[in-house]
Amino acid sequence: MTETTGAPIAVTRPGRPIFRSRGLSDRAVAWIFISPTILLLLAINIFPLLWTVYLSFTSYRANQPGRPVRWVGFENYQRLLESEDIWGYLQATAHFVGWSIFLQVVLGLGLALLINRQFKGHATWTTLILLPMMLSPAVVGVFWTYIYQPQSGIFNYIVNFFIDEGSFSMVGDVNLAPWSIVLVDTWMWTPYVMLICLAGLRSIPDYIYEAAEVDRASKWRQFWSITLPMVLPFLMLAVLFRAIENFKMFDMVVELTSGGPGSITELASINLKREAFEKWRTGYSSAFAVILFVTVFGAGNIYVKFLNKVKQR
Amino acid sequence: MSAATTRMGHGPSLWGQRFAALLVIVYALITMIPLVWIVLTGLKTPPDAIAYPPKVVFEPSLEGYVNLFTARSRQTPQYMASLPPPTSWYDELVRKRNMVITGPSRFAGRYMNSVIIGFGSTFLAVFLGTIAAYGFSRFKVPLKDDLLFFILSTRMMPPIAVAVPIFLMYRALGLSDTYLGMIILYTMVNVSLSVWLLKGFIDEIPMEYEEAALVDGYSRMQAFWKVVLPQAKTGIAATAIFCLIFSWNEYAFALLLTSGEAQTAPPFIPIIIGEGGLDWPAVGAGTTLFLLPIVFFTVLLRKHLLRGITFGAVRK
Repeated sequence: MTETTGAPIAVTRPGRPIFRSRGLSDRAVAWIFISPTILLLLAINIFPLLWTVYLSFTSYRANQPGRPVRWVGFENYQRLLESEDIWGYLQATAHFVGWSIFLQVVLGLGLALLINRQFKGHATWTTLILLPMMLSPAVVGVFWTYIYQPQSGIFNYIVNFFIDEGSFSMVGDVNLAPWSIVLVDTWMWTPYVMLICLAGLRSIPDYIYEAAEVDRASKWRQFWSITLPMVLPFLMLAVLFRAIENFKMFDMVVELTSGGPGSITELASINLKREAFEKWRTGYSSAFAVILFVTVFGAGNIYVKFLNKVKQR
Repeated sequence: MSAATTRMGHGPSLWGQRFAALLVIVYALITMIPLVWIVLTGLKTPPDAIAYPPKVVFEPSLEGYVNLFTARSRQTPQYMASLPPPTSWYDELVRKRNMVITGPSRFAGRYMNSVIIGFGSTFLAVFLGTIAAYGFSRFKVPLKDDLLFFILSTRMMPPIAVAVPIFLMYRALGLSDTYLGMIILYTMVNVSLSVWLLKGFIDEIPMEYEEAALVDGYSRMQAFWKVVLPQAKTGIAATAIFCLIFSWNEYAFALLLTSGEAQTAPPFIPIIIGEGGLDWPAVGAGTTLFLLPIVFFTVLLRKHLLRGITFGAVRK
């Protein structure tokens, strides 16, 4: 559609002026404009990724650059899949991703439905609610450790105000720690789901509800057969973004629990960092990185296909 | 909002609306507690910060801010008595705890690093993103959809997954712990968002404007520079703020690839140590100063937030 020679354009868009522009050809401009971005991504994203794949087949250790590198084939992958700890880390990740997304969907959709009632001053309150998601996850992790302090923490104080629990530690207790990170993530990212759901709700034209009123459909019925199906693609998009982000989760949890107590909250990314930068088992950690990336990428693609189907309905 | 009136038909009664407002306000207030609390903590004295029960009413003190910006050392009472009278209010504040200021802390430097790296990478990411978005928006590019998806997919990668090779690469190139290295890295991470957002904004600018300019004898570059860019101003500004916020908040790469010279604030704030653990008022003060620009930008950006967080997939 941008060639400057006339004929085909004249056929497809008859009203369009035919011109010859001065200077560089459009094709040259297009490549000059796009290639820097592509090259940058190839150099600092794809090249390192391929390197990770290569390293995953070796016995390389990044803290001993002089040591000869041995090609070990699938040994790293084999050790990884045989290791029982890995399943623990993946379970911790699944618990975190599953529960945080569930809570965010429930709260986020609920809030969006409430805000969509357009009460006076809703814009101001919405902006306030949105704040947590803009903050630095690492810094959020730091100040929540303070809020969770067993003695002086405001969280424990408020909980004790309602139910007399005595002294307890959200971060230090084996049973509570997995919930402590779910809670902070929900605090931070509920507004994200809310904002996307709100866009979905606002995209529903009023006449559909008006028609339903005429048909005397109950409010409950309207919610299930109009609101929810229309919001669903938006909700699914929000879930996709949250799932990808939470699967990669590192900063907030490192600062809050650093994987503890024991390895109860040691999520996949945290374990990856431990293996790569504390134990310096570069080959092994690279194999884990590859498995994680393939999982996210594969699951993401399947999900997007599914999402597109829902959209078309 | 015209929707409010048209929606009355199916929708909320006055009481329903009031009830919704009440619930939303309660949620907003609860969600604000942690933020308000950390800001207040920045204004407490260290004993007040760990008092039980937590102190809601307290005498404000700037000790947290003084501790944040200074390095101090504890001295014996004899030595303290031998000192000349304090020369400033902060000197006096520190001496009350039997300490003397030995120099500035590293916080100001880390904060400046965040500013330099944030603005540097934002400028580059927005520059690259704008031209690439224009290219994708206006020209027939082979494999356009695949390239765009490729650009987006780079964002799905866990940073730790590529951290090792980047660490090795930077070590070999001498880019570890340098501004340039961090700026390039954050540009790479931000450019996907920048391309996607800006493509959305540029798609919305009618092509007729440029065509008119081209007919008038402008070259493609001139048309881009003089016609498209001014039209895309708002979009570029919104994208820039998103990139800035990301660089400002980033932690994983900063933790792994910087240690001194180019370390940004997020890996530094957690290690502000006082006597016997974290110095909470200083952490509170540092957190407040660190979050303040974000609050400002969020308010500025509120109309475009939705686009930004969904890579332009959802627009109003």
